[in-house]
Amino acid sequence: MKRSGLVLSVMVVGVALLLWAGWHNLRERKLAMQQAQENHVVLVPEKSGAATSGSAMQPDPQSPEAEATQMRGKVAPAFTLVTLDGKKVSLSDFKGRPVLVNFWATWCGPCKVEMPWFEEFQKQYASQGLEILGLADDVDAGKDAIAKVAQKTGVTYPILLTDGKVQKAYGGPDGMDYLPMSFYVDKNGVVVEETAGLGSKDEIEAHIKKVIASGATPAAGGQ
Amino acid sequence: MRLSLGVAGLLAFAAVGYAQQVGNLDAPPAKPKSYVVYAAEQQSVAAGKRSVLELHFRVVDGFHVNSHTPKSELLIPTRVELQPATGVKADAIEYPAGTSYSFSFDPTEKLDVYSGDFTVKLPVVAEAGTHTVDGTLRYQACDHAACYPPKSLPVQVIFTAK
Repeated sequence: MKRSGLVLSVMVVGVALLLWAGWHNLRERKLAMQQAQENHVVLVPEKSGAATSGSAMQPDPQSPEAEATQMRGKVAPAFTLVTLDGKKVSLSDFKGRPVLVNFWATWCGPCKVEMPWFEEFQKQYASQGLEILGLADDVDAGKDAIAKVAQKTGVTYPILLTDGKVQKAYGGPDGMDYLPMSFYVDKNGVVVEETAGLGSKDEIEAHIKKVIASGATPAAGGQ
Repeated sequence: MRLSLGVAGLLAFAAVGYAQQVGNLDAPPAKPKSYVVYAAEQQSVAAGKRSVLELHFRVVDGFHVNSHTPKSELLIPTRVELQPATGVKADAIEYPAGTSYSFSFDPTEKLDVYSGDFTVKLPVVAEAGTHTVDGTLRYQACDHAACYPPKSLPVQVIFTAK
């Protein structure tokens, strides 16, 4: 009787230890995950050949953070679109110059916040060859509504009407899941930075400086 | 013997529970397919009398949608579109007032939004019997820094008029 009591006690202690170890492990993993999320490090697929940041966490492939890494390091897909006044504009028109390709929509509040910043940067970095193209994602809103937003935000850089294909080329089979989406294309036509959602003005300027500096040739000097 | 078996069972249960917890942690975070959820519920009204049906919605945490009366004509208002149903005479839909919201990057621009729970009211006069009114909630959601394309959520209002 005494012996079975002892065996029972040992087993109860064993179970308690196992449960404690499980809880402890779970807590540690949760903390590690929180830390990884706070560091906000996103993996870039190896195929892209871009530099990767060290993190063991694979982001949700559908999250804005993950979406913002899909094009990085890749050649920017070519496109030819029409401006609000019917002029044809191709990405290749700006070959040898840094280009910021920004997708936006009339219903997108954060897009309208950053558009005046883009206008300011367009002027500020024009001498370094920077070109900004605003691609209106919601063509169904109508030219008038698109023009109204461009006017209200003070944008003078080209506003292009999307054709349904360009969204898929840059955003995947379902097009743009989030807006704003921006692609910083360097002089060699490679996407060096990609952002989903609104960042701060300083972040945008840092990306612009990066795209201007990127590429084999020195600054184009405002072609 | 029985005791040992019991303890072994307990150990196995604990191990499975632990494995499940770890498994859940490894799963990628779920991304909502819809940013608004509709809570369908059976309702009862008085037959032949003007009564108000309630449609309960919940905006997923971390997101907001424009109210029915956003402050800009360029923003897409939240609205319910209902199909006609036999024996049901529906009046104009009543929407709740929104709350003020602004993005942290632009505190001066005030938006009018729904977040969390919101209720849309549908005044009806219905004949006796069970009725189903089909419809759609049209909305456009944003989070703190990004916006998502407009979406449609199917809605079915089932109620009995007695």
